[in-house]
Amino acid sequence: MPEPVPRRRTPIEPGFFTIPDDPAEPPRLLGSRCRACGEHFFPRRVVCARCLAQGCEDVLLGPRGTLWTFTWVHVPFFGQKKSAAAGYGVGQVDLPEGPRIQAALSGAQGDFAIGMPMTLELETLRETPEGEHVVIHRFRPDPAKEGA
Amino acid sequence: MKLGDVAVLGVGQVRFGVHRGRTSLELAREAGVLALADAGIDLRSVNEAFVGYIQPAPMLGIRAMKEFGLTGLPVTHVENASATGLVAFREAAHAVASGRAPVALALGFDKMSELARGGQAGRGIGRDSIDSVILPAAYFALWATRRMHERGTKPEHFAKIAAKNWNHGALCPVADRQADHRVTAEEVLASAKIAEPLTAMMACPADDGAACAILAAPELVRTLRPGRPLVRVLASALQTETYTPGHTFVGPVVGPATMSRDTAQEAYRDAGLGPEDVDLAFCHDAFANEELEYYELLGFCAEGEAEKLVEEEQTSLGGRIPFNTDGGLIARGHPGGPTGLAQIHELVVQLRGEAGRRQVEDARVGLAHLVGGGSVCTVSLLARD
Repeated sequence: MPEPVPRRRTPIEPGFFTIPDDPAEPPRLLGSRCRACGEHFFPRRVVCARCLAQGCEDVLLGPRGTLWTFTWVHVPFFGQKKSAAAGYGVGQVDLPEGPRIQAALSGAQGDFAIGMPMTLELETLRETPEGEHVVIHRFRPDPAKEGA
Repeated sequence: MKLGDVAVLGVGQVRFGVHRGRTSLELAREAGVLALADAGIDLRSVNEAFVGYIQPAPMLGIRAMKEFGLTGLPVTHVENASATGLVAFREAAHAVASGRAPVALALGFDKMSELARGGQAGRGIGRDSIDSVILPAAYFALWATRRMHERGTKPEHFAKIAAKNWNHGALCPVADRQADHRVTAEEVLASAKIAEPLTAMMACPADDGAACAILAAPELVRTLRPGRPLVRVLASALQTETYTPGHTFVGPVVGPATMSRDTAQEAYRDAGLGPEDVDLAFCHDAFANEELEYYELLGFCAEGEAEKLVEEEQTSLGGRIPFNTDGGLIARGHPGGPTGLAQIHELVVQLRGEAGRRQVEDARVGLAHLVGGGSVCTVSLLARD
């Protein structure tokens, strides 16, 4: 079954999210869970910030959460050549595991409401001279949960 | 640690703004010379110095101190983002309180206009970094949106605070923004949008500037400056974040708002005072919605009452608890390193009764608050005898 070969994707900074081979699959966040008290963290850490026990274990967090707050920024998105008029969304999303994730939002101004379900995706910021897509995680309103 | 046996010997500040063609060291020298003249001493009488700036330039503090002479005094660099100047002040106060330095100097300077033009928000924030994607303005806008959701706060409340600070700045000779007309909330709301619901006039400028404070034992201050009201440092607290559930770790400006409440409570406890004893206050109003939150977190009203404080203009000059009488970060300006020392400059001018048209009547106790990078908070309390 011939499929178009997707562009190779590379993270803006390593160590924060997965890049699935299948572009249709949502990314996950690289988090930690404290073996002693069970608290979850993003990004990864070694010492638990809550109980100070050493030796957190690696876990994958997301991709779903709830929008805690949001804004619409009226200046060009970092790393992209968007006009000032376009703007972009930024929000904080609470994961069911606990951490509150601050990230860019995908969608138009007016698409967002506090408490709405969100899901994670990858956005291409730019292309490297070698043809790789530099990507970052962001959240968008979760269509699977809409009207649920 | 209770201070109290530390007093202000001198203060100086260069007017904040964009100083094209002048270097950081020139600005630092001007502020230091003003403070030394206000103190009536030269560098020979200074036992220790703490120098703060945010620009990425190692050793610049020691180079700045050479502008005043080479006397062998110990110099230490201090950097805590926006809180830098107030933390340098804290170190100087504790150096005097400990007895190791009879006279200690805190100096802050920066040229934020050049850093802003270079597209670099601060140390360690490069282009290919996950922390650099979200602007500080966006973070504070997130806080504002949540407040509006929980408390029914209107953009007009934020606009009234910004207009108040613009109008305070117009009365202050060392403020950057000195509007030639009375700024209204409508004008603030009509200015360019940055990050909903914040507009350009609700945000601080990226300034250049310098400020300096010199501290000493009260007896020495009385000897050198007899007849001048004695201003004491009662407390100076410094805290970083305490972990809370839902903590946000990634982004340029993070941290729980409760850090301001905890740090203020520590300062009040150390000084043996409460917010009801404070006559005027300064806070980190990089964005106007922050100031509204700090009314509550610093204890000047109950939770959910900050909007009422704004509506009743209780934080304007002439109100119950005037905030940011020199215009705050929004109008006096916010170069970074010297910002906290500008707060101290205005606080000392007010407590001495030398603030002219913006004088707070019978000002006796003042509070200065700053946060830095969302991850550190410092609160100082000063009082006139």
